[in-house]
Amino acid sequence: MIVAFATWFRTTTKMRLVCVLLVIFLVVAGICLVLRFTSNSPVSYDNPQDRFKYGSTGGEIDSGIPYSVWKALPELFPEYLPGKGYASLGFLYEEGKDLPIGVSMRRVQGVDRVFFNCAICHAGSYRKAPSDPPQYVVGMPSNTVDLRGFYEFLFNAAKSEKFNPGLILAEIKRQGIHEDLLNRTILRYYAIFAMQNSLVGRSDRLSFIMSEPEFGPGRIDTFNPAKALLNFRMCKAPDSEKIGVADFPSIWNQRQREGMQLHWDGNNTSVDERNRSAAFGTGAYPPTLDRDYLHWVEGWLLDAKPPKYSYSIDQGRAARGAQIYATLCAECHGKNGQEFHTGEAKLGTVTPIEYIGTDRSRLDSYTYDLAANQNLIYTGYGEERFSHFRKTYGYANMPLDGIWLRAPYLHNGSVANMRELLEPAAKRVKVFYRGNDVYDPVNLGFVYNVPDQGDRKFFRYDTIVPGNGNRGHEGWAYGTDLIPADKDALIEYLKTF
Amino acid sequence: MFKISPVWRRRLIVIGSIVVVLAAVLGITAWYKFFRVVPEEPFANAEERFKYGSLDGENTAGLPYWIWVAMPRVCSKYLPGPGGYRSLGIPWEEGHEMPVGFTKRIIGFPRVANNCASCHTASYRTKAGETPVYVAAGPNHTTNIQGFLRFVTTCAKDDSFNPDTLLAEIEQHTHLDLIDRLAFRYLIIPRTKKALTDRDGQLGWMNRQGIPDWGPGRDDPMNLTKYFMTGMPWDSTVGSADFPSTWDLDIREGMSLNWGGETPSPRSVIIDSALGLQADPKTVEQHAAWIQDFLRSKRPPKYPFPIDAGLSAKGEAVYKKECAYCHALGSGSRVGTVIDVSEVGTDANRLNTWTAEAARIANQTVAKLGITRKDMVKTNGYQSVPLDGLWLRAPYLHNGSVPDLREMLEPQEKRTKLFWNGYDVYDPVGVGFDTQSAEAQRTGFRFDTSLKGNGNQGHLYGTKLSAGDKQALLEYMKTL
Repeated sequence: MIVAFATWFRTTTKMRLVCVLLVIFLVVAGICLVLRFTSNSPVSYDNPQDRFKYGSTGGEIDSGIPYSVWKALPELFPEYLPGKGYASLGFLYEEGKDLPIGVSMRRVQGVDRVFFNCAICHAGSYRKAPSDPPQYVVGMPSNTVDLRGFYEFLFNAAKSEKFNPGLILAEIKRQGIHEDLLNRTILRYYAIFAMQNSLVGRSDRLSFIMSEPEFGPGRIDTFNPAKALLNFRMCKAPDSEKIGVADFPSIWNQRQREGMQLHWDGNNTSVDERNRSAAFGTGAYPPTLDRDYLHWVEGWLLDAKPPKYSYSIDQGRAARGAQIYATLCAECHGKNGQEFHTGEAKLGTVTPIEYIGTDRSRLDSYTYDLAANQNLIYTGYGEERFSHFRKTYGYANMPLDGIWLRAPYLHNGSVANMRELLEPAAKRVKVFYRGNDVYDPVNLGFVYNVPDQGDRKFFRYDTIVPGNGNRGHEGWAYGTDLIPADKDALIEYLKTF
Repeated sequence: MFKISPVWRRRLIVIGSIVVVLAAVLGITAWYKFFRVVPEEPFANAEERFKYGSLDGENTAGLPYWIWVAMPRVCSKYLPGPGGYRSLGIPWEEGHEMPVGFTKRIIGFPRVANNCASCHTASYRTKAGETPVYVAAGPNHTTNIQGFLRFVTTCAKDDSFNPDTLLAEIEQHTHLDLIDRLAFRYLIIPRTKKALTDRDGQLGWMNRQGIPDWGPGRDDPMNLTKYFMTGMPWDSTVGSADFPSTWDLDIREGMSLNWGGETPSPRSVIIDSALGLQADPKTVEQHAAWIQDFLRSKRPPKYPFPIDAGLSAKGEAVYKKECAYCHALGSGSRVGTVIDVSEVGTDANRLNTWTAEAARIANQTVAKLGITRKDMVKTNGYQSVPLDGLWLRAPYLHNGSVPDLREMLEPQEKRTKLFWNGYDVYDPVGVGFDTQSAEAQRTGFRFDTSLKGNGNQGHLYGTKLSAGDKQALLEYMKTL
């Protein structure tokens, strides 16, 4: 064999040499292309805080937006944004960072793509005065991000005539973002059209959610998107199940929550399953979920703690409040903000809707039929298949860790602050503003009565709108009959959570 | 013979070996991907097996699992509402992968078929804000079997039933390897499309003009048997019949079964019904044995609302006087025998779907499969059934034409002509399901007693009792 080759090689002509080189070139180029188009590597972070804020759940693989297109869109479609850039949707930009908190990047098939991670909904900000820099807190419910506003922006852009390769590539070039020739070619002739088709398709499936009343910042419909995923025939659904808006929850102290009825209506008792369910919101599907990352997040959240209250606390008054808490609140909400655990009285169980009396839209949006169909989510992946979803008939009693950062209150964020929550519904404000991150230590919540600040308009929350009702969680058992001094004491104590 | 040089012999051996190895790899792969039968995991108990156990029908009648998963999403427009298969009233326990009555087996790839529980699992709620209770062996009154059959065949004929659309849906939820993807694209999806389209043709008789819909909780059992087992030509008969309860089979030994009493033994009914579900004739007798074992001792559930004991005791006396002669167990009773249709006076359509000729050919067909069972017969009436678990067996009469027990005690003029069935919230006043509320009308099936086969006449026993006696009898019947 070797001899034969040597003979052949000795008798070779220049042409043959060229052929050999060409073959070598093609093989190398082929390998490069294969490597490029099978590439799938997230941008990774060592610092846990950064890893939570910017790490990838795998959502970019199916749902990702090419980084360069992500950068181009706000410049090309400012008419679909409330202000300048994604920041105008309440996305939080840390100093020196190119992407906002909750947006991750991954190179898939040679293209850098971005999409969401857990932090888009579970990181927030507060400040003591409008002029202060914001403090970013991971694990707290996002109080500024208008996620539906983001989708409206994307869908509107995708349906616009301006959504075409020529304009988008020109904008990318104008911003000086480098995409190599191959990527530019792919973007021009395939990727941008594919993205447009996929967005238009998705907006069709989600159209019934888009026709719900506005969510505003810090809220999303949690389970109607699952119906869209399963392509339920929603045009035939009763109105009672069409509004499922809910406040983002905090996600600290997951270890203590294992076994509790999770989600606002307590429809699942498995932290693991709840997380895979939530990962759909980051665009991660069963085949694309980055399991290593999600397991890391799960582990990290087990003992993640809320930050301490950042103002002074009157210890004497708080001590008196502790007694009131023990009498009225502890049975449902746990011993205190730190020492609560599963199995403690009614903590982590569901209070029937007839008793708690809060707005029932979110409860009714989650149906038995959805629970049954969720049995097939993650099927094909053994133990990962969903098997813990249950239809419930009330809302779950939550632990109150870090409660000071979890305003506005109730599952739909309909009560502006803690002081309001201790008033009967008739005395709670009917209209207030959400999305302001300036803290209000007197009332324990965010500033709620300011419609705008600088160029930023806040969301006008009207409690008359379906799904926004602020009734319930009232009466003697809920502390709304306490005398003012006792309410003050209770609020003081809740600051220690 | 020509001589082969040693060099060529060696080469041939090498080439031959390569071919053999390749063929073996190919063969093993094909066997693994398409024919490998994975035994069922054992079930926790007999009831679980009844609800989810295979009858070995997956090979002939099985839908590929992933297509079954994708169909309600791809063809959602052909479903009556949101909720995938649930919108057809199919019982589906929380946490359980398969709906009740749906089996999953791996024969090369996972496949889905049905078992007895799809028609014999009842569902009830005591109020709307409550999770349904499923009762195995109870009569299913929520599942629209005809709707399900029509859904899968209509979907198969739809443009969206194509490899691109189906694979896009499937691969959003699971990873398929290259061989599976190719198999789905070029074999499994086209073959499923053809099989379901063919089935649509076989079921054409029920889709003809003028043949009323079954609605939930019913099928046309004797026409199904007739057309599938005898190959007799389609006729114009309509035999819509309520799914019966199948518990307490021990007390039914020796009785005639099926509404018309056409089948003289529980075992025969189980075998014939399983064959109707495309069970494998080779193993159907083994399956019939465990099913019968379970149903022999499966008891109906107790009435879930309070019962007035005093009133019920009074009602028992009325029952003994008015009903026991046909419905109570014991000697001298006519229970389990066929009462001539001229006597009972109920809608005769169901009876007329079956003929002596059909019985003869069906018996031959079963015998040819090598199965020994008591033969079917032709009768001229309806069976007087035992009334065990009666409260959960609404709506009443063989065709489900009377919504509740209260109306059973009224003459035809006073029985409701239009109601909505398939809603599973119980109405303890009428003793039956809620068939009139807004929610019943929204989710239920409009049952019109003026349509062929839906007549609510006959069985006028007890209709002339005093109001007090009726009330007492009604109370007692809750205890059965």
